[in-house]
Amino acid sequence: MSDWYSMNVVLIQTTLTTLLLALSIQVPIRFGVFSFAGVGAFGIGGYTAAIAMVHLGWTTWPSVALGAVISGIVVFALGLLVQRLTGLYMGMATIAFTLIISVLAVNGGELTGGAGGLYGALGEIDTGHILAILAVVVAVLVWTETKGMGRRIDTVREDPELANSVGIDVVKYRLASFALSGVIGGLAGGITTLLRSTITPAEVNFHLVIVALTAIIVGGARSWLGAFIGAVIFVWLPTMISFVQEWEKVVYGFIVAVAAIYLPNGVLGVVKDLIHRFRTRQERARLAVLQEKG
Amino acid sequence: MQDLLNVASLGSIYLLFALGMALVWGTIGILNFAHGATFMFSAFVGHLVTSETELPFLAVVLVAVLVGAAIAALTQLLAFQPILKRSKNQHAAEMRILIGGIGVAAIPLAIAQHQTRSSPFGFRSSYEAEVLEIFGLRLSTTSAVVIVAGLAIGIGLTVWVRRSRRGLALRAIGVDAETAAGMGVNRTLLAFGTMATAGALAGLAGALLTFQLGAIAPETGDQLLIKAFAIIVLGGLGSMAGTVIGAYVLAGAETLVLNLNYGTWVDAVSFGLIFLILLARPQGLLGRKEVRRT
Amino acid sequence: MGGAARKRRTLLAGLAVSAVLATVACGGGAAGDSGGGGIEKTIKIAQVQDQTGPIAYAGLGASEGAELAIEEIEKQGFLGDGVKIELQKLDTAGEIERASSEMNKAMGDRDVDAIIGPAATQQAATVAPLVGRQKVPTVFTQAGGEGVVINDYTFRVTPPMESYYEQVLEYLKDKGAKTISVLYNATFPTFSLLGEKGVPKMAKERGIDIVQSLPVQMTTQDFAGQSQQIAKKNPDALVMLLIAPQSVTALRQLKEAGYDNQIVATSVQAAGNIEAAGANANGLVYPVPFSTAMDGESSQAFTKAFRAKFDKDPDPYAADGYDAMWFIARAIKASGDSSREGIRKGLAQVAKEGFTGAMGGLTFEGNDARVDGALVQWQDGKETLAQ
Repeated sequence: MSDWYSMNVVLIQTTLTTLLLALSIQVPIRFGVFSFAGVGAFGIGGYTAAIAMVHLGWTTWPSVALGAVISGIVVFALGLLVQRLTGLYMGMATIAFTLIISVLAVNGGELTGGAGGLYGALGEIDTGHILAILAVVVAVLVWTETKGMGRRIDTVREDPELANSVGIDVVKYRLASFALSGVIGGLAGGITTLLRSTITPAEVNFHLVIVALTAIIVGGARSWLGAFIGAVIFVWLPTMISFVQEWEKVVYGFIVAVAAIYLPNGVLGVVKDLIHRFRTRQERARLAVLQEKG
Repeated sequence: MQDLLNVASLGSIYLLFALGMALVWGTIGILNFAHGATFMFSAFVGHLVTSETELPFLAVVLVAVLVGAAIAALTQLLAFQPILKRSKNQHAAEMRILIGGIGVAAIPLAIAQHQTRSSPFGFRSSYEAEVLEIFGLRLSTTSAVVIVAGLAIGIGLTVWVRRSRRGLALRAIGVDAETAAGMGVNRTLLAFGTMATAGALAGLAGALLTFQLGAIAPETGDQLLIKAFAIIVLGGLGSMAGTVIGAYVLAGAETLVLNLNYGTWVDAVSFGLIFLILLARPQGLLGRKEVRRT
Repeated sequence: MGGAARKRRTLLAGLAVSAVLATVACGGGAAGDSGGGGIEKTIKIAQVQDQTGPIAYAGLGASEGAELAIEEIEKQGFLGDGVKIELQKLDTAGEIERASSEMNKAMGDRDVDAIIGPAATQQAATVAPLVGRQKVPTVFTQAGGEGVVINDYTFRVTPPMESYYEQVLEYLKDKGAKTISVLYNATFPTFSLLGEKGVPKMAKERGIDIVQSLPVQMTTQDFAGQSQQIAKKNPDALVMLLIAPQSVTALRQLKEAGYDNQIVATSVQAAGNIEAAGANANGLVYPVPFSTAMDGESSQAFTKAFRAKFDKDPDPYAADGYDAMWFIARAIKASGDSSREGIRKGLAQVAKEGFTGAMGGLTFEGNDARVDGALVQWQDGKETLAQ
């Protein structure tokens, strides 16, 4: 077990950080806001943490925290600006935001290390730390997914007018989703950067948006558990299929396409279906037994 | 003046690429993320054919157009059609179509990368570009073809979608797919035809661009994809005329920044511009007001 | 989450790491027992480089070069009779996390004695602190950026471009160039460094004026505007620092804009990357750490052997892999010890003395290789030494 763990520790940690990134995109989507600002937050959080460590000599956790706070504030401010936009117009505006962050990093001179980025920001982070942070994040998300809060958020997404009429402040909810997405994205960026010890402008790009989106849709878009399943699949699949060697990317694309076609609610949807079916069968069996008795 | 010509040339490149994407997205509501890969792979097949035998200009273009149409038709048949069939409505299918497209796109990209080792590739053709000098302005024949083709097809499509019966049917689908189907519009067939047309446009863009730029790399398609996405949103989804204007606005902004010698700020300025335009006009430049309740 | 609990967790994690180190030490010890720090019968080298994805060419080329080197080493009995070298290829697929993860697997495998590390700077910079911590000697190829050669266990056989770029400016000076323009991709780390600092400094030292400096970014695909600006200034020469597809387009549009003076470029143009430019690339001059046109004996021998084995011309990446593998073999011979620590000592020793390989004479600054390289001219699909 410990042997397996030490061989795969990077993959395990990557799964967790990918999950954080995926959650930062999933949260606004669950609120009915098509925002990809989480990836921009990833950049801000990563750069802030790296700058704090390299230039200011801060230790690991204050650096990560600073990154999360700043990206939360910036993305919240972005939310104030773009809240009028809908659908993919919002998507485009937030992608523009993300790409601008990357350009700022290129032109940041000494502070951001320019095109070459920053290196040597190796934090002291182990799997336990990431799990602890993730536990807090997931606890918050579970609270937003269940009971009254879950229902209110579903209403904000599916029927904003109804939400308004029953006294839910839709605008406030949406803005909250921006802030939350910013903080989670910032955490993802900070932790990822300090694990790798480097960050470059080239990383904060459209590709990262696609990574996060794929993980969510393939896993399941409505719950953190779906994002988790997606992150696991996304991180581990390439190593699982590496035996096909040069055709790895072809097989990967094929699997993603097939998942999009045949799993309308992601892997999580399939699992839920199976559980549901199993329960109904049990229920029927019990009824049958009851009937026989009767 | 020369700068205007350059803008026209660059804008036409973007336009040729974006038109196909705008057509399917604005009418049948499919945001095809495999468009960039279709574009690239059509040019790549052209490259493979011309490395066997030297071909004239038009023959290369024809090959690329056919390949593009075939790829897009296959994508529709094997990926998007099944997704639509398995979804309750267009809205539910949106995200899965996005991811399906991403999956499909990975396949030709991986093949081309593997075959070329990611080297740029061009055509071996009997066609040689010449430089025309008119009133001291320099313009290569390829650029002239690109400008004429871009404008002609752009305007042609705009008029066609607005005036013709087919165009009406297409717009009807874009506004309300279910009602359109009720009015006797054969959606499946029309969608298939539209996708094939868009693919042919991607192929045309692939061939003309490779002639214009001398060579493209397997990754070129992805870079254009994000720009096309920006152009369509900027112009307003569903408006072909908006796409035409969007392409030249983006090209104008980029050329201006480059001429002022702020080369590394190009993306920030052009995406900043898009961001600002969206703030001022949340539906894009010429987009139709969506009927939305909040 | 109490402080005590957190402390225990870090402690556990610490234990996990030291457990890995302990087993590693055992592996080394076992080899040592068999022959007093001797050479094992089978030496396992892991090549952790891109085999797929956008920069697969670097990893695939290096694989071919390394395979050729292994064949020679085994045939010569360089490390003793019957000593075999096993090359394990691990694909990083162009991703930092994959690089990090595959490196971790290689380091965790006790049989792996040394690693040929990632070719992309960022992948390399991410794994460099790790190999130092886990004490696995790693030889990088390419990876020309900063933050790669940072501790006793990191070595690099490909010299950074700026270290052999001087000869380009020297060439221009000899040709009597007084004014130059610089067109560079400012979002590509190596080129931004060279375009903003390196070239201006080198030009100034030689009394050459930079009349124009035009930065573009990775996504720039059209160079019509810049080409016309350059043609208007008409400098004696143009320094073009662009990635492969950009170079092809820029060369064509420069010709179309009417610029006909000398253009000098970078080693990116090697490996057939400029072929697509056709006649527009004729006369282009660029420096490379290796070219089949190089007339040194060792370079010629490598080119010949490579052609015989693979039936094609070697590219600079193949030369990288070849020299990296020979570097490791020489190190093992020098220290007479094929354990990880033995190889590290050997590498340091060989680096001090330098050696001759496919790239000609390699000397080292610390653990970082330097070569003279060659200045080549592209003419009708072939590289010749620039005169």
